[in-house]
Amino acid sequence: MYELIALITIFFLPLFPFSILFNALFERLPDLRLRGLLLLIWPQIGLGLLHFTSANVNLPLAWVTLWAMLTATLYAFRLLALREMNRWISLLATSSWALLWIPALNGEETLTLHLSAFWFSAPLVLLALLAMALQQRFGAAYTGLYTGLATYLPRFSGILVFTVLAVTATPLFPAFFVMLGILLQSEPMIALGLVIVWLLWSWAGARLLQSLLVGQPNNPSDEITDFSAPLTWRYTVLLTGLAISGMYLTGVSA
Amino acid sequence: MDQLIILLPTLPLLSALLTHLSAPLLGNQAIRISLTSGVLTLLLAAVLLGFALSGQTAQWHDSGSAWGSLLFDPLSVLMSLVIAGISLIVRLYSVRYMVEEKGYVRFFVLLDLMTAALLVMVAAGDLITLLIAWHLIGVLLYFLLGHDMRSTAAYRYGFWTFITYRLGDLPLILAAVVLFHTYETWSLPLIFERMAANPAALTFFNIPVAEAVGALVAMAAFARSAQFLLHTWLPYTMEGPTPVSALMHAGIVNAGGFLINRFAPVYVHTDGVLHWVFIVGLITAVIGSVLMLSQNDIKKSLGYSTMGQMGFMIMECGVGAFSLAVFHLIAHGLFKGTLFLGTGGVINEARHNDGVPKDDLYTFIVERKPPTNRQPWLIMAIITLAVPVLVLVLSHLWVAPDLFHKQGAIVLLFFGWVTGAQLLFSTYHMSSQNPWRLFTLIIFSFTVVVIGYTLISHMFDVFLYPDPAFAKQLYAAAGIDVGWFDVLIGLITAIIVLGWLRAYYAERSTKQRKTQHGGWWMDFYALISREFYVIDLYAWLTRHLLATSARLNTWLKWG
Repeated sequence: MYELIALITIFFLPLFPFSILFNALFERLPDLRLRGLLLLIWPQIGLGLLHFTSANVNLPLAWVTLWAMLTATLYAFRLLALREMNRWISLLATSSWALLWIPALNGEETLTLHLSAFWFSAPLVLLALLAMALQQRFGAAYTGLYTGLATYLPRFSGILVFTVLAVTATPLFPAFFVMLGILLQSEPMIALGLVIVWLLWSWAGARLLQSLLVGQPNNPSDEITDFSAPLTWRYTVLLTGLAISGMYLTGVSA
Repeated sequence: MDQLIILLPTLPLLSALLTHLSAPLLGNQAIRISLTSGVLTLLLAAVLLGFALSGQTAQWHDSGSAWGSLLFDPLSVLMSLVIAGISLIVRLYSVRYMVEEKGYVRFFVLLDLMTAALLVMVAAGDLITLLIAWHLIGVLLYFLLGHDMRSTAAYRYGFWTFITYRLGDLPLILAAVVLFHTYETWSLPLIFERMAANPAALTFFNIPVAEAVGALVAMAAFARSAQFLLHTWLPYTMEGPTPVSALMHAGIVNAGGFLINRFAPVYVHTDGVLHWVFIVGLITAVIGSVLMLSQNDIKKSLGYSTMGQMGFMIMECGVGAFSLAVFHLIAHGLFKGTLFLGTGGVINEARHNDGVPKDDLYTFIVERKPPTNRQPWLIMAIITLAVPVLVLVLSHLWVAPDLFHKQGAIVLLFFGWVTGAQLLFSTYHMSSQNPWRLFTLIIFSFTVVVIGYTLISHMFDVFLYPDPAFAKQLYAAAGIDVGWFDVLIGLITAIIVLGWLRAYYAERSTKQRKTQHGGWWMDFYALISREFYVIDLYAWLTRHLLATSARLNTWLKWG
């Protein structure tokens, strides 16, 4: 029974190839609210299941850690050439959630683990909202189809920049502190893998931003409107709140 | 005092926020907030340096949490003054230079944020704060270099900078993790204290902590200071605005030298790390200088010149002359910043006057000036080789006679001699109607520079590392076996003298129209003109990585 639950956990704290379930589900969900919910809830279920089984199932720590590391690396590497933004979000989610195995197997406190998953997921939800905004304006959230957004959608572009920085674990956003916390619990070779995953996220983030924001606008139209000032403020408040709460709530022990 | 320390990075941070918020109301005038804050930051940094010079002891301002602490010590206040100064000059220059650019106010906001990040980096009292500032500098520089959002080229090269900086972040993060694991604190003063108490502590794979951390910190410094193989971003970031180039070459690129100095208490316990630092610096200095000489674009040439200078700076750390590296980075920052800010003027001048020296026959017949003459080469060769040695030895004997007992000092004197001789050799090349006057002036300038350099670097040594025992330990950590040292110095001297002779005979052959460039020489030229194929290699690697990633996405399209 417990072994079965442990197996199911692998779907929720996704390890390749079981990660396919989440990615397929995320892609097929038509409603944005459901996608956001999925991003927030999916890893929390995994952590709950892991907590439930941890006392009764002895997982091979070294092997699972390595598996998690390889999953995170695979998905981070795949991000580099991705152009569809929703897929980009689901792959980054898979890459980051896989890393939660490391603190989970090293006996991290349950609350800290759930918070860590939340800090990874929350900015991804914001990014999903921005992807939807692109879909509404251009029909698809796809890099390379339209360029130079910074020139004619400056508010949207500003928010997109900060959101991408948040999802790629840039300081002072909470994912940065989560990554630092995971690094502290890693063996040297795993730590090396972790920083490479981190580097790949940054690389992919920069590519995403560059292909959307930079260059001569190739699709300017009067019908395409920028974010309104109140909406921009709402995003700003959310991102600021995320950064501030992350600074206070993420645990990097003194 | 505590309030002043906190106020220093807070001022530009606050200014960034206010400038951004007031822009809709004040328009371009909002940048006045940034300028005022720049002046105040500089004044505050000067006051703090004044406190440090008056003998105020080092202070650690604790924020009450695991991170956010700031350090008030000679290194941090000195670097703060440099950063505040250069940042203010760049802002003042940008007022007119950038006025017609889109995103004028945004540019000043980014400059403010960059200043704040740099100030936090130099004053960071714990590893997390240092990591945050270190990481943010890379991100901010990326957006500063890509200020023109329409320019794909600016972003492409900005990305090179960003990814190299991120690559450099990784070893620093690993060093922080190793230090925290070993000493169970993030606080830098505490870590150094515990390391001094237990310098032989071991970390993973039974490697001494000092060696592992020293190597990792050096790697982070190499990426930030454009050492060979991690240098490609530096000469290619000229698509960004000129003030950003100035800020980058005058300030940001020097962070490597600062970082090694910050971790000096780690390096005193290392055995072989500084030797590798020296070798990397040496290779960078040579390659940077060679590439600089082969450029025909002034900005790219300056970029490679910075690379060469960074090599020298890292090399100085490698011989244990840590304080000299700080002096070097400040001096280099000031003159390179000036050069960058002046490039526009130089290019403009070149459009009116090509500056190509006229033919001797032309000056004699058309301009009716007497022909230039040169002195016998033997006399000139003796002066070229002997005068720099004399000036260097006398000035150092005057300032610190014990310097000659340190291997590092000998290496630096050696380089001083080579540089001085090279300078006089170049002067010999310059045809002049009054060669003795030119020579006297050059020797006088060289003497002033050497005395100034020696005096100031000695003062830096006393200010930054007041404990002579600690400074001696640094030199000792960089030292090698005396026999090997003598052999190496002899070998390098022979190579340089042979090089000079080769240059001399090449010139004679040219005059006698005997020049026949061999195949190997052309191959070497091709190698330099392709910049050692490093960029091609990286481009190939990137292309293949992206292609593999795309292939994986095709294979795994179901999830």
